[in-house]
Amino acid sequence: MIHKILSRQSLLFSLAIILSGGCSRIDHKQSALDPKGIVAQNQYDIFMLSVWITIFLFCAVGGCLLYVLWKYRVKNEEEAMEVPPQTHGNSKVETLLILASTVILVILAIPTLQGVVLMNRVPDPNDEATLKKLNLDREQIEGAITVNVTGKRFFWIFEYPQFGIVTANELVFPVTKAIRINLKSEDVIHSFWIPKLAGKMDAMPGHENFMWFIADQEKILSRTDRHGKPFKENVATAMPSVFNGKMREAVFAKQDFNATFEPVGGLFYGQCAEYCGNSHAYMSFRGLAQTDADFAKWVERMQNAQNPNLKTLQWDSTKEYEKGSVVIAKDESLVDEYEKGSAVIDKEESLVDENSTREFRALSKVSKGDEPNFSSGSWKKLNSNDYEIGKALFLGSQCGECHALNRTGIGSKGPNLTLFGLRTSLAAGWMRNDRTNLVEWLQDSNKVKFGNLMWNGERVDDKHPLRSFKPLPILEEDGDQLKEEKKELNKEKSIRVNQLVTYLLDQR
Amino acid sequence: MATESVKYVAPETETKLQNQVFPRPGQHTTGIIDWLTTIDHKKIGFMYGLTALFFLLVGGLEALLIRSQLWNHNLDILNNREYNQMFTMHGTTMVFLVIMPLSAAFFNFVMPLQIGARDVAFPRMNTLSLWCFIAGGITLNLSWFFTGGSPAIGWFGYAPLTDNRFAEVMNDMGPDFWVFSLQILGVASLLASFNFITTIINMRAPGMTMMRLPVFTWMTLVVSFLIILAFPAITIALAELMFDRTYGTNFYDFQEGGKPHLWQHLFWIFGHPEVYILILPAMGIVSEVIPAFSRKPLFGYGLIVFSGVIIGFMGFAVWSHHMFTTGMGIVATSAFAILTMLIAIPTGVKIFNWIGTMWGGRIRFETPMLFALGFITMFMIGGFTGIMHSSVPIDAQHQDSYFVVAHFHYVLIGGALFGLFSGFYFWLPKMTGRLMNEKIGKVVFTLMFIGFNVTFFPMHYLGMIGQPRRTHTYNLGHGFEAWNQIATVGAFVLGIGIAIGVYQFVSSFFDKKLKPAGKNPWDARTLEWTLSSPVKEYNFARMPIIKSRDQAWENNYGPKEKHSEKEPLDDHGVHMPDRSWCPLVTGAGLLTLILGMLFHATKDLETGVVLERDYMIPIIGGIVFIIGIIMWAMEGPGGYHLFPKEDEE
Repeated sequence: MIHKILSRQSLLFSLAIILSGGCSRIDHKQSALDPKGIVAQNQYDIFMLSVWITIFLFCAVGGCLLYVLWKYRVKNEEEAMEVPPQTHGNSKVETLLILASTVILVILAIPTLQGVVLMNRVPDPNDEATLKKLNLDREQIEGAITVNVTGKRFFWIFEYPQFGIVTANELVFPVTKAIRINLKSEDVIHSFWIPKLAGKMDAMPGHENFMWFIADQEKILSRTDRHGKPFKENVATAMPSVFNGKMREAVFAKQDFNATFEPVGGLFYGQCAEYCGNSHAYMSFRGLAQTDADFAKWVERMQNAQNPNLKTLQWDSTKEYEKGSVVIAKDESLVDEYEKGSAVIDKEESLVDENSTREFRALSKVSKGDEPNFSSGSWKKLNSNDYEIGKALFLGSQCGECHALNRTGIGSKGPNLTLFGLRTSLAAGWMRNDRTNLVEWLQDSNKVKFGNLMWNGERVDDKHPLRSFKPLPILEEDGDQLKEEKKELNKEKSIRVNQLVTYLLDQR
Repeated sequence: MATESVKYVAPETETKLQNQVFPRPGQHTTGIIDWLTTIDHKKIGFMYGLTALFFLLVGGLEALLIRSQLWNHNLDILNNREYNQMFTMHGTTMVFLVIMPLSAAFFNFVMPLQIGARDVAFPRMNTLSLWCFIAGGITLNLSWFFTGGSPAIGWFGYAPLTDNRFAEVMNDMGPDFWVFSLQILGVASLLASFNFITTIINMRAPGMTMMRLPVFTWMTLVVSFLIILAFPAITIALAELMFDRTYGTNFYDFQEGGKPHLWQHLFWIFGHPEVYILILPAMGIVSEVIPAFSRKPLFGYGLIVFSGVIIGFMGFAVWSHHMFTTGMGIVATSAFAILTMLIAIPTGVKIFNWIGTMWGGRIRFETPMLFALGFITMFMIGGFTGIMHSSVPIDAQHQDSYFVVAHFHYVLIGGALFGLFSGFYFWLPKMTGRLMNEKIGKVVFTLMFIGFNVTFFPMHYLGMIGQPRRTHTYNLGHGFEAWNQIATVGAFVLGIGIAIGVYQFVSSFFDKKLKPAGKNPWDARTLEWTLSSPVKEYNFARMPIIKSRDQAWENNYGPKEKHSEKEPLDDHGVHMPDRSWCPLVTGAGLLTLILGMLFHATKDLETGVVLERDYMIPIIGGIVFIIGIIMWAMEGPGGYHLFPKEDEE
């Protein structure tokens, strides 16, 4: 009989799935069932309360329904024609049920209201009772870090006003401090969702929103292995430092994006949760938890990289230079290097000519007038040839119009690329940030992320240098000569892209 | 059909006008002209229902494409824009072109029969409402063929994504089609609602007091009030959006001082009552089906009616729970959270009372009852997850994730659609005069019930582990794949179930091999079951005099004093109005008007893109529209009289 399956099946379903999610805590990258911060823990606790309430109600009401269906079912033709007593209701029972449901709602309403306050307000550092309840120290609140988050199609800008630095798509934060997030948008509505830390809040244009979170180091360190056995991870492996690239290495080593996914505790996944256009699905981001010391070092590196006063200056013949000083000077040899791949970007208008410059570092104390070149012996090139050509490409291919990189480039249309080589991910958290992916991304980003603005944005058309990186398709019907020419051309395109990639990945 | 007819001779002034200006198709009209000009509420109900079932298949196909795309990570069965169009069209179609008109089909067919009326109060307006609905469906789906394709803005079209500034295709016309189709669908709903309210208030048979109305009729009344109070909000919002898009005003343009929040408030103050507009008719149907198949009167009739009214009323006070994550502040979110929890109480009351109805009854598990029971259980799950969302901290995780997708599909498929299918199996024999095959009905139910749960239950979990809604794909390593594959398999099972069901409904109109239904195949309780199946053209030969709430039941089983009586036959007979072309002409004028407003010539000048509108087509449409209305006013009543015999009801 179908009516029997009717309620039982859904009951079993709900129990099986909720229990598997609620108890065994499967470690999914972006799971709200695995909270690692106070705000998310609060949300999780209220959710589980509501789950148990509803399971209870479902069993009670569903059980009642099953009982009625079984007891009063028609067993034969005669019964089907019977006329049962025609009762019209019972006001006592009805009142009782209304009162009972009100009580149940009150049970849910109280933690809800407390949760609303917690989500919207960082606790007052002077309010010791609340801090104690939340198990927080005063300085965790007082030393709160503010991050201004701007949602854009389809990436995130993270600005740290206390430190004067800007980054994109990867939010680096200290694990012990409260993080205050001010949200805004410059185009359509986005929503900042970081499930393991704090739920979500919309980034609205023309209206600033606020949310906050604080990670819980204990929770990040407590892990379970594949057999479900709990163990404590140490800080160095759970939260590898970002500033020296250890985080990136750890993520690459552990996360092969396969079923054998092994999480790095300090890495949090986030996602835009409000539909914002074609590439909404691709608008993710990451949060990287750091110890206080590692965070301070990362901030310092960012500040140095973005400080206009630390800009490398042109070599000055009237100055003496200390050992280790870095200057910019002409280097004609770059032209030869450049021409190895010169078929690609406009032949007539070369980006590298005899006046092109590169960075040199003094090997020892350098006296006045000792011009930086390779023959003098007192200077050494700071970066590889590919890096310098890549830099010329970056500036000459209009990349700087949208991307700011250290002190280079003016744009804020695209993600800020400062210290790009330290990032774990590429294209708003979509791909791993390594050479293969970056080459694929630059050569045909539309294939990776259809409709992305780097490929399709304002004033990007077929004449844009970025699109010239795309390899030409070699078709069946092409003649042998044409095929050869195309192959040659594609090889050169690949050289160019790799030079640009070298420049970007060396930003560390 | 031993009826003889005579030409009704109207007073001279009216007949003259009728003959000079525009003759109305008379009694013996048949074929396509009959269907185009009919003003019979039953035929209008059929057309509403069949069109909506067609759109159900269209929307379902869109859903299956969506589910196929999510079968695995990084698939490109659809690219991202196509996917976004698909979910926008799926949502808009299912809400405005399927669930609402299916409800309207039942309102049209059943409600006048339940209150003992000859027809609705304004039959021609009823026809116009139908044509407006069809015009809206055409407008929305025409968008596939023009610049930019269908809208890719989501069914609630949040500003400023709808602004031209953020269009991802040059001169994207999709949102324009969306705006205009919703406007004309609003006209359809409003016309129907005023009509139903007038009918229920004024045209009840003698003795049919308000507290004797069948619950389905009560829900018709509540829903009609909800529609006339809620639709003006979206009409204004859409008009403002149209101005923003067409004339560069800045209601929602934040860069010029507009407020994207404004759209959300206007949309949801319509959109939340809309949720009840979708579910209350199904609740009404279930409140008819369960007593019939339990052979007991509804438990706590007064409370069920009252809670329906309260749900409708409170539906206007909870809209901001759709906006908990937009940053409304602590006070507003808390207030809306509490109000939302309160609305669970009248909803719970209904479920208790349905179980109370079955208590002590004689329960038969025929297909309508199975769907009604499916409704109760599935709606309960949807309701419970709804209570979860009323809690703001939980909503901060659930909002815009697959958990929400699961929630509202439990309410709208497990709730509304199951309720409506129950209604089809219950009332179609009354409409067609033929009983449908019980075995096929049970197969349909089983497929739908299993398919539905397999599709949507895993989505709760998918939402919790972080899959956001409205994303055309997902990356490897989130663990989403297996659950999505289960959901996709379920979706196809559900789709097969629905397709068989729709086939069964449509074929029962034509299949002569089916068993005749007789007057009351279910031993059901309300007034429409005292009539023969299919119902005669004139509904009631003689006006019934109502003596009790469950009149059909009391006539069979009740004491003598509760049996209904009939007014005596007289020389006048039953006056039947003639058919009319005017609603079709008016509707066609309106369609031309809005389509004309949509199309424009584009000129690429040196200064940029300039839109030039050609106002000739909308002006022509407007003229046709006005001509239709003038003819409407002048064509006079016309009509004929029927004289049913003594023994006909």
